[in-house]
Amino acid sequence: MTQQLFAWLDERLDLSALRHFVAEKSVPVHRHKVWYYMGGVTLFLVGVQVATGILLLLYYRPSAGEAYESVKFIVTQVEFGWLIRNLHSWSANLLVFMAFVHLFSTLFLRSYRKPRELTWVSGVLLLFIMMGFGFSGYLLPWNELAFFATKVGTGIAGAVPFVGDFMVRFLRGGDEVTGATLTRFYGLHVAILPAMTTVVLGMHLLFIQRQGMSVPPSVEKREKAGEKIPQMPFFPHYVLHDVMWWYVALAVLAALALFSPWELGTKADAFAPVPAGIRPEWYFLAMFQVLKLLPAHIMGIEGEVLGVLGFGLCAVVLLLLPFLDRGAAEGRSSKLVTWGGIVALAYMFVFTIYGYLAA
Amino acid sequence: MRSFIVRVFLAGVAALVVSAGTGHAQPAQATGCQTCHSGETASHLSAPARDFAAADVHRDRGFTCVDCHGGDPSATDKAAAKAPATKFRGKPTGTQIVEVCARCHSDAALMRKYAPRQRVDQATEYASSVHGQQLAKGDHNVATCVSCHGAHGVRLVSDAQSPVYPLNVANTCTTCHADENRMKGYMRNGAPLATDQKVKYDGSVHHQAMVERNDLSAPTCNDCHGNHGAAPPGVGAVTNVCGTCHTVFATKFALSTHSAIFDRGCVECHNNHDIAQPTDAMLGTDEKAMCATCHSEGDNGHKAATSMRTGIDQLKAAIAHSEEQIAAVENAGIEMGDQTMALREAGNHLTLARTEMHAFEPVAVTKILEEGIGLTTQVDVAAKAANAELSFRKTGLAISLAAILLVVVALQLKIRTLPGVES
Repeated sequence: MTQQLFAWLDERLDLSALRHFVAEKSVPVHRHKVWYYMGGVTLFLVGVQVATGILLLLYYRPSAGEAYESVKFIVTQVEFGWLIRNLHSWSANLLVFMAFVHLFSTLFLRSYRKPRELTWVSGVLLLFIMMGFGFSGYLLPWNELAFFATKVGTGIAGAVPFVGDFMVRFLRGGDEVTGATLTRFYGLHVAILPAMTTVVLGMHLLFIQRQGMSVPPSVEKREKAGEKIPQMPFFPHYVLHDVMWWYVALAVLAALALFSPWELGTKADAFAPVPAGIRPEWYFLAMFQVLKLLPAHIMGIEGEVLGVLGFGLCAVVLLLLPFLDRGAAEGRSSKLVTWGGIVALAYMFVFTIYGYLAA
Repeated sequence: MRSFIVRVFLAGVAALVVSAGTGHAQPAQATGCQTCHSGETASHLSAPARDFAAADVHRDRGFTCVDCHGGDPSATDKAAAKAPATKFRGKPTGTQIVEVCARCHSDAALMRKYAPRQRVDQATEYASSVHGQQLAKGDHNVATCVSCHGAHGVRLVSDAQSPVYPLNVANTCTTCHADENRMKGYMRNGAPLATDQKVKYDGSVHHQAMVERNDLSAPTCNDCHGNHGAAPPGVGAVTNVCGTCHTVFATKFALSTHSAIFDRGCVECHNNHDIAQPTDAMLGTDEKAMCATCHSEGDNGHKAATSMRTGIDQLKAAIAHSEEQIAAVENAGIEMGDQTMALREAGNHLTLARTEMHAFEPVAVTKILEEGIGLTTQVDVAAKAANAELSFRKTGLAISLAAILLVVVALQLKIRTLPGVES
């Protein structure tokens, strides 16, 4: 049946190029190959987000007066609405987590080295976009925790020198977090960021397909020494592996929804006192905690300003890493990059836990 | 001498301006009295002119010094200005104050021109008050009109700076009533008149409502004692006084056996100046309960108090339990709107029972409480069904999880069978 359908299409569209690509494409096999699948899992979760997000759009209403009620309607009245919302919320978190896993595995395996600099840059941009999705989506249920966390989160933008005040007003749609902020975040979440994702993700996938999978420098050395590195066909070997990992991700999602259903919370009230334990989503928590701990002034500069500038610098270094670590292209693994990655991981781990305990 | 002539000249000009005016419709201009008194160095002579010129409801309506004090502001000589022919009466004291104020404030025809809705019986009321009666006996230590309203710089009652604005009344009354020296010698029911009313009132639920919630309808001194006819509510009148606002409670209490027994009505249990937020602990037979003051084990009152308190506690516990159940399932995504409404209704029954309790009739209270318990039982049944739905969802997810894991295993097995490479 499938073959008949393919033949029918082939007769009309000439799919020989695709057939050739699938038949010829292979993926190197080595002891680090498991990390190849992390990108696939991240892509799968993007798909889950798009599918569940579209379903949520059918009922969600982006206004301060109706947002909370519409989410409540989704989880209480809509058939399987509770499941869709649960999957969307958990999948969002898992997506950012997997994006970090993919980023660090790529970093430690030096997959960003020439000629894959643009793949890395587009990947880092995608991570930033995913974090933007998380930040904007967090407010959409318009519950108390999200409202005050957004108030704090958007307030941090005020520390950016020169344009801070403008950025706060731009993000909030005014001086305070209001219904205007919600509408703005909604637009960002369902239109601007998806459009950016489509373009950047398209480029990211195109680069990967054009250049093939990168192998770690150690494997590359063996290859250069004349050793033949085993390959597996892309189809069906790699695809089946990938699908298996997608199912693992789906199993994790189902387990999270089963054991820890995503809560609705109480409706946001701008006049209510700030509740205890206000904190951003976990992937911002390490940064948030550092900003909280910084002294008011460091060497005459406001601590928060310095913190925001520091994180901005880290983001730029991360984005331009392939161009900074020039030795990687010659097969030299920079200890600075390795230790930088380890320190970054340790920092995120320790400060995220600290942030949770402190809140 | 030269300055005196200048002042008298200015006074004459001022008087001409006033007399050339169109009656009392415009604020009064400076008179000769003010011109001279403003320049006095002694504060008791200069303060009246200063206060009257600053902000005074009478001045704003065109009245001048002579309307209360008499005299001739157009006279160029101090002696002539205060000559007997000018009906100069100087500073009114004691009963004169009431008479001076009442000349206008008891004149319905005159008052209609300025404040048509204002009552004109203040002097009559005052005569019936403890203050008025003491004054009539020659006691000049008691409050008269000016003690509360001020003499110069009199403001409307609705003016927040007026000493008789609701928020300021307690302070105005207790200027005298919290003054032990001033109250020395005054007796009530054979005992010295208390001076702790302010301290007690400051700790009361009424003061809290007025000051903290800015609820100007909350009672202050004059709402219970009257203002111009100020006197303590007599025996038998307390329930009526409290019932002015707490109508339902007063009606229920009037039906109770206690209404004939309690000399001080509501005050027996709730006190007067230091009325605290009522709690369910006041009802019952334990140490904190008011009922135990008179009732002892075995008597009907003891049984009634125990029964009502137990019933109220049971409904409270049932509501709290149901609320907890609802909150848990609602947060997990089950709609419980109808149950929330039912619980609100159960809360209304609790309020009704607490109100009905003032008739001290356990059967009626129990009936209301049972209806409330019935509502919470319905809510609990719905919460149980909602929990069953949650369990169903969890079971469904668990089965899905198992199916997904089976696919993972199947894929792994399939991959192992693929030729050419180790999995």
